[in-house]
Amino acid sequence: MVRRIEIGLLYSRSGSYAAMGEACLQGAMAGIAAVNADPALDLSFVPVARDPGGNIDRYAPLCEEILQCSGARHVVGCVTSWSRKEVIPTLDARAATLWYTVPYEGFEASDHVAYLHACPNQHLLPLLDHAFRSWGRRIYLAGSNYIWAWELGRLARETVDGAGGAVLGDRYLPMGATDVGRIIEEIRATRPDFILNSLIGPSSYAFMAAYRALGAQDAYFTPERCPVLSCNLTECELEALGADAEGMIAAGPYFRGAAPGWPVLAGETEFGSSFEASSYAAVRELARLLHGRPGAEAWPLARLLAEAGDSMIDRKTHHTALPVRIARIEAGAFRVISDLPVVAGDPYLTHPRQRDPGPALRVVS
Amino acid sequence: MTRRIRIQNLGGAHAVILHRPHANVQALSRQLAAIGLRVETCWPDLGPEALAADFVFFDADMGHDAQFPWPAGQAPMPTIALIGSEAPGRIEWTLSFGAHAQMLKPVGDNGAYSALLLARAAYDAQCALRAEAADLRRRLDERRTVVKAVLRLMAHGKSESEAYAQLRQMAMAWRISIEDAALRVAATDGEAGDDRNRRP
Repeated sequence: MVRRIEIGLLYSRSGSYAAMGEACLQGAMAGIAAVNADPALDLSFVPVARDPGGNIDRYAPLCEEILQCSGARHVVGCVTSWSRKEVIPTLDARAATLWYTVPYEGFEASDHVAYLHACPNQHLLPLLDHAFRSWGRRIYLAGSNYIWAWELGRLARETVDGAGGAVLGDRYLPMGATDVGRIIEEIRATRPDFILNSLIGPSSYAFMAAYRALGAQDAYFTPERCPVLSCNLTECELEALGADAEGMIAAGPYFRGAAPGWPVLAGETEFGSSFEASSYAAVRELARLLHGRPGAEAWPLARLLAEAGDSMIDRKTHHTALPVRIARIEAGAFRVISDLPVVAGDPYLTHPRQRDPGPALRVVS
Repeated sequence: MTRRIRIQNLGGAHAVILHRPHANVQALSRQLAAIGLRVETCWPDLGPEALAADFVFFDADMGHDAQFPWPAGQAPMPTIALIGSEAPGRIEWTLSFGAHAQMLKPVGDNGAYSALLLARAAYDAQCALRAEAADLRRRLDERRTVVKAVLRLMAHGKSESEAYAQLRQMAMAWRISIEDAALRVAATDGEAGDDRNRRP
């Protein structure tokens, strides 16, 4: 007998980060289709989708609606950290679980959230290691005005200070704003070694277009000499960026063509981006945990992980061990330039970190 | 000046929770383990090993001074009160105990991380202020010595303000406080009217 289990989907399909929401939703829907087509599983998923439309105040009520109007106790959703923090009290009250499938800034380990994408020891810190070695330690920070960019900026500043470098400037734009003139002028004036871009959606697109124009005026600002780095750029935004993305550097657990690092995806090959892959992985992992455990769909995450005993979701932190890839956009596609081993998510950065030593130096005679 | 908080050193830190077995203790232990701390719980008393803890969480509802191996207000590490009852008497005791931060019960999904950082910052500030106050108090106690040293220098025919200026110069040259310089002058048995040593 196949159990029909409702599962919530809470992604914005419009608004300033719709491209990311759309990618996640596609991955989750593909995951549901794969689960439902898998004869080895004793369950099938029925999606219960709600669309907050990019409006932060719609997340908690719509999450509540999913939990109230359906039997769903697992919700795959949320792109911004702000929206994730909005729904946690709702999840807490109903012992429900959010499967969160995009990178975030760390310093959280909710009992009610499974974190499937990278946190800073899996994106920002290895990216900075690479950048210090390749371009230098004088950096400029640009970001959207909310917790993601603030915390990435704080961590980058701490890391740069610790490495004897300098933050030459940092500026945050309201979400959706495209007025990037001031940022460009500050970059032109300070001539950093590289730029960390934590802008989201249209702000990022406007910035990249303006930075490319700056590079056309002044050859210092080319991707070779002063590249733009990101921890949130994936394939799902390449279409919107077009040629402006050329030469940009991004860190993430997966880029198209690489092997997806989520254990539950072993044998799977091609995903649109790490967002599709992690959302797909979330649905597959949930199905794997629920299989053969009738009634387990109502359990809180901690119990589900304890009874299963073998999940890729760590029982202490609820984070996922993932590979770290650093990739450059060349001819409209990511090419991985550094492929680092799998590392456990360390949301509070309390564990000593293995630094990437970089390419071993050889004596050339 | 903004104070930067070093977060890395929380990893492997040792937290002791003084609270009877309860769901609140489980929720708090989960949070602390996720952050990367080593957690130990005890009740009704703190054992001697608690003196080596990096953080102590304690029950403010049932707590009393005799549970702790230190006098009220003298905890040798940051302490965090777990407050359920907000009855004034309990808050009063928590204040006299000298908690550095608090968490409200029921303990839920979060709150431990900020409590750890706030408690450590408050504890560090308290230690710095205590050290500064002790130094000032000691220097205050040396007021009589300063008077004595000035009088001794005046015995060589200097005015009071000249003698005091000389004492200050000696302190600066020796790179010590004026009170410590006065102690040296007062201790040299009448010979210190001139800091060039006239003894053979």
